[in-house]
Amino acid sequence: MLTLLKLVQSLIKALHSEGTPGQVAAGIALGAVMGLTPLVNVHNLVIFALIVILNVSFPGAMLGWAVFAPVGFLLDPVFDRIGAALLHHPSLVPLWTDWYNTPLVPYTNFNNTVVLGSFVAWLVLALPIYLGARVGVARYRATLGERVRRSRLYQAITASKVYNMYRLFRPE
Amino acid sequence: MRTRIFRWRAISVLLLVLAVLGLLTVLFAEPVLEETTEEAGTELLGTQLDIGSLDLRPGETAVDLGRLELADPFDPMKNLVEAEAIAVRLNPEALAEKKLVIERLTLRGMRFGTRRTRPAEPPRGDGFAPTLLREVRSWARQFDVPVLQLTTIDTVRQLALDPAQLGTIREARALAARADSTRRALQSGFQALDIEGTVDSARALADRLAKADPARLGLEGTRRAVEDVRRTLDRIEEAKRRVEGLERSVREGVDLLGAGLGDVDAARRRDYAFARSLIQLPSLDAPDISGAFFGQVSIDRFKEARYWAELARQHMPPGLLPKPEPGPDRLRASGTTVTFPKRRDYPPFLLRDADVDFTIAGEGPLGGAYTLRASGVTTYPALYGRPAVLRLTRSAEGSAVASLRVDAVLNHLTRRLRDSLHAVASGVSLPAFDIPRLPFRVDPGRGRVMLDFAMTGERVSGRWSIAADRVAWRVDSAGRALSQLEELVWRVVSGLERLEVTAELRGTLAKPQLAVRSNIDEAIAARIKALFGEAVASAERRVRAEVDRLVEAQVAPVRREVDGLRAEATRRVAEQRRRLDELEVRLQARLKALTGGLVPGLPLPKLEL
Repeated sequence: MLTLLKLVQSLIKALHSEGTPGQVAAGIALGAVMGLTPLVNVHNLVIFALIVILNVSFPGAMLGWAVFAPVGFLLDPVFDRIGAALLHHPSLVPLWTDWYNTPLVPYTNFNNTVVLGSFVAWLVLALPIYLGARVGVARYRATLGERVRRSRLYQAITASKVYNMYRLFRPE
Repeated sequence: MRTRIFRWRAISVLLLVLAVLGLLTVLFAEPVLEETTEEAGTELLGTQLDIGSLDLRPGETAVDLGRLELADPFDPMKNLVEAEAIAVRLNPEALAEKKLVIERLTLRGMRFGTRRTRPAEPPRGDGFAPTLLREVRSWARQFDVPVLQLTTIDTVRQLALDPAQLGTIREARALAARADSTRRALQSGFQALDIEGTVDSARALADRLAKADPARLGLEGTRRAVEDVRRTLDRIEEAKRRVEGLERSVREGVDLLGAGLGDVDAARRRDYAFARSLIQLPSLDAPDISGAFFGQVSIDRFKEARYWAELARQHMPPGLLPKPEPGPDRLRASGTTVTFPKRRDYPPFLLRDADVDFTIAGEGPLGGAYTLRASGVTTYPALYGRPAVLRLTRSAEGSAVASLRVDAVLNHLTRRLRDSLHAVASGVSLPAFDIPRLPFRVDPGRGRVMLDFAMTGERVSGRWSIAADRVAWRVDSAGRALSQLEELVWRVVSGLERLEVTAELRGTLAKPQLAVRSNIDEAIAARIKALFGEAVASAERRVRAEVDRLVEAQVAPVRREVDGLRAEATRRVAEQRRRLDELEVRLQARLKALTGGLVPGLPLPKLEL
């Protein structure tokens, strides 16, 4: 229930944040990687840093994470296959061998089938996610956005203290 | 207005988050690492590993482990080894590549074979180690250990044998199925041979040219005839090669069936033993008596040696191919983690050299100074380039263990894995053990124990021996009176002070064979034979006749089938070969006639001068 509430909160905040549809969409695309790939990995720390310092919508990133986390769980068998295919592909083995024997790179866990498969899947999906989200946010704002903004639920959420914290990451 | 790319004021938050993460790492790295090491070690070794404390010394890339306990996988109430403190110094360069290369290993306060206060949890799941443990236990059960029943011999007791219990019948059925499939395979082999066309055309050509005269054929006609003959000879040669190929397959198939007949005979011998056990008829062969007394205790030693050797094979594979292993446990799917070794680089794990001198304090039997040397213990032996060697030595004359030496060599450099272990301890207090199914217990006291174990590919060999001069025998019949036979054996063994047992293991992992000898078997066998020999022999004849009656109906047709198949296959191959040889001779003769003997490459008769 709490997760669902958080999701709704993220959704509303993202769609109504001050960012342009492009900034929200970029946030969603970056947040998607945290949902699609196993969370405790070095690349997600880098992605989090990017979300914080790049001028993208932070609520959008949280929305992307929340929406794509269940998708990640569902698609794990597919990621496993993609990763296995890539890691065992003869033409790529020299590359993986170099990476595996390069300082710090092995800590990214790129040699795990699910990590690699999900990350590559995100790389492939990032642009479609970005474009789709940008169109979606723009259409939402043009149609339902104003009505939701006037609703009591939205007022309640934006009045909360947590929202003030979010405002720190408001796109400029 | 142009949108800015960076949000600089959020950097303070990012730094804060990183600082919190850093603080969490400092606070929780050690407990998390301790738990992870315990879990990984337990999974790796297939037995519970407990670590009392773990301290990181990042500046020296070192780890200190306190109170390490490794449980015995075959006895949950016993520790294989305990160490008060272990200091591990790691190679920082390798650590940057997420590899553990141990530069220096120091151990203090080692103890072996200690009792545990809490039983170790048995390994669970379908991981390699639990599966191996199950497999090794079932491997140990397959040994045909004779059972010595020393209740009164009842020569008139009815023998009720269920054919379903007899292995001979199962083996005979399996062999019949193999004979069927071999017959089908040979049939299709003969069909695929397809030499009829070659034979027919060769015969037709030979007939056509039988009376051909080069003078009448003319130059062109003779040239064409010679070419025809050569072409046909080439086809005959090719057909002969196919026949030779088939002959090889026939030989392999027939050999396999011959081996199957051997298995049937072996199964029948086991069935005799089984039937004998049903009427509790003791075997009077000396090796059987030794097997019954000391077979199980010998198998236990080989079982343990095989477990560790197989574990080493799993974790130290040959070659440099990428190695997949199950990924880490997490909420998301674990996936598979693949390691990619690189020549002249560090393997994921390497204990390059360990040179440990340690002392076990106190008056206990293991007290004394020890030296442990290990080198080349690695997950990729091919990268290290030398076999892993472990050597443990101790010398302390006059103490409970006068000397101890353990040498192990794990050679996994090539696909043909060779593992060997040689362990000798003299002056050691040998553990007491029960004699299976008999109310006797033997306490060998102090003596010498030796274990040799080797696995080369799928072949296994081993030798376990104990020798003790002051053996104590105890009878424990739980209040019941000993039978006449038990009394007899007790009189023999209770007078023996010296005990020498040698168990030898041979064969393959799939079909190991155990032979046990001891200095007591002849004495026991002679005494039993003298008193009960005739009764036992008569009962033995009856047992054999009963087993033969039940299995012969199954075995005889299979034996006939196999013999028939062998004869038929050999006859058919010889027949095909004979036809081709005959035609080849005819065509060679025609070729000679057509060319006047001037054909290059034509085999000429050898002249004897």
